[in-house]
Amino acid sequence: MTLARRKLLQLVGLLGAPTVFLLFFFLCPLLIMLVYSFLTPGLYGGVEWQFSHLNYGRILGWANTRYEKFDPVFLSIFLRSLRLAALTVVTSLLVSYPAAFWISRMSPGRRDFAIFLVTLPFFVSLIVRLFAWVLILRPTGFLNQGLMGIGLTSEPIEFLYSDFAVILGMTYVFIPFMFLPLYASIEKLDVAQLEASSDLGATRFQTFRKVVLPATMPGIIGGAIITFIPALGNFIVPSVLGGAKVLMIGNLIEQQFLSARNWPFGSALAMLVMTAVLVLLVVQLRLARREEAS
Amino acid sequence: MPAPLEIINARKVFRTPEGGSLTALDGVSLKLATAEFVTLLGPSGCGKTTLLRTISGFETLDAGDILIDGTAVTQLPAHRRPVNTVFQRYALFNHMSVARNVGYALEIAGRDKREIRTRVGEMLELVGLTGLEKRTISQLSGGQQQRVALARALAGKPKLLLLDEPLSALDKNLRQKMQQELKALQRELGIGFVFVTHDQEEALTMSDRIAVLAHGQIQQIGAPSQLYQSPANLFTADFLGESNLLPVALDGQSARLGDGQGFAVARPAGAATLLLRPEALGLARPQGPALSFTGVIRETYYTGKDHQVALETPAFGTLHALLRSGSTPLDLGAELTLHAPADDLHLIDEVAP
Repeated sequence: MTLARRKLLQLVGLLGAPTVFLLFFFLCPLLIMLVYSFLTPGLYGGVEWQFSHLNYGRILGWANTRYEKFDPVFLSIFLRSLRLAALTVVTSLLVSYPAAFWISRMSPGRRDFAIFLVTLPFFVSLIVRLFAWVLILRPTGFLNQGLMGIGLTSEPIEFLYSDFAVILGMTYVFIPFMFLPLYASIEKLDVAQLEASSDLGATRFQTFRKVVLPATMPGIIGGAIITFIPALGNFIVPSVLGGAKVLMIGNLIEQQFLSARNWPFGSALAMLVMTAVLVLLVVQLRLARREEAS
Repeated sequence: MPAPLEIINARKVFRTPEGGSLTALDGVSLKLATAEFVTLLGPSGCGKTTLLRTISGFETLDAGDILIDGTAVTQLPAHRRPVNTVFQRYALFNHMSVARNVGYALEIAGRDKREIRTRVGEMLELVGLTGLEKRTISQLSGGQQQRVALARALAGKPKLLLLDEPLSALDKNLRQKMQQELKALQRELGIGFVFVTHDQEEALTMSDRIAVLAHGQIQQIGAPSQLYQSPANLFTADFLGESNLLPVALDGQSARLGDGQGFAVARPAGAATLLLRPEALGLARPQGPALSFTGVIRETYYTGKDHQVALETPAFGTLHALLRSGSTPLDLGAELTLHAPADDLHLIDEVAP
């Protein structure tokens, strides 16, 4: 057996199992969704094998039949989801970046403990943690009682069921996702490079802009992507903290599958989210390539 | 003309994590002549790196003053001091091209792009890397990275260049080549270099003067040959080059070794230490007064033109000698007598405890 052949066989051996796994449990369901999104909804759920483009038409504007009508509310929910997910990325970045810096400068023992603390929320059910936020944010909750106690406000403020509550909740949920890639790139940052920069005349701000920020950009982009994607499709946080007022695309999809029993329409909405994510990834890849080239 | 660098009575004490204190600089004073190459030499922990970092501004002094070109910079932050550093592991900016690394100081100073490009070109030519402007740092070899670090530190025309063991990561051949190049570069630029190393050979080759540091103090400062031939104390004698240190008793006119041999020397009575460099010992008995040592050969190493010999003597323990390779067989276990001329011997007014 030649060396090249042996290498090929080794590669097949190593990658075979994960490839088959991903094909069956990732790509196939996705293809089923894609096919369903072009079918007609069954009367009692499920699908009828008849082509229909009206699922997309309802979202994007050309559906105008008796039952299948275009409604701009779907697009506006989608846009709101994009906005809330983007804001979640920004707020979790603003919280995680200084925290990652701080933790990376700790002594090794304290550092490991701090990282353990960051991942600690994963040990408690998401639902329980979100209901804790309800207790904090509701009109008679800790936050309002505290604010009224110190006299900042005389009446409770409606924190709950607002964009604010949803962004707060999602930031809270996704901070570890943002933190870990950020930490990985900040921890690799060479202190000597910061010294070199100031040695060459740069102020702290110039050093941050020209050395720290570019050097940690992979972590920022990585964190932003793995925060944005689940935030965009999230339906638990908006349903607990956003109530009926702040509906996100994830809630809409969930309703289509579980309550309205309109699988094709739910699939079409899911494809819309998929497309947005893919576009984002392609843009990021292009940017990264251009950066590498320059 | 003011000195490019003057350090006056610098003191620096660090707190250790255990709560103790560690005196890194204990009253160090140093003055550089114009365009002088001074090496700070010492074992690790002697304070040489701390001294360099107080000059660049990464550490603040507890007491004392630092003047660069006659201006006190003691209170200035690192980015406002007219000195640049070549770092031990280069500390190059990995996310930037070679050209941007070299032009960094000028970019920060807000110079225009054409001026930066010209200067970067000059600098790369100076260090022999012309044409590599667009490379990334990871595409360079260790030696090339070293040169980029050098070009980057020089691009902003510093009044003084600080080098923190910059050659320690290179292999031996490249290191020797870079030593010569650095020395030539320093002569060409005509600015002061302060070079930190623990490698005594490197210090001897490159420096105009060497400052030997230990325990936060300058033990001795002087030209390499002066330090090698007439060290002021046992530490310098031991640290710089190989040495045989023999205790002697002085009676005013002569010195007497432990085995009864003596030689004439006009010094006040007392105890001292005789320094015999390995190359001072030879096989042939010189004309005139001489010291002789007989012992058994314990080790020999052939180095090409010389033999290194460890001779075990009854009176002085092991003596190290460097003998010209010749016809005399140097067999392990054989008895051998070595001689050293007894004039112009260097005595150190210090006795090993």
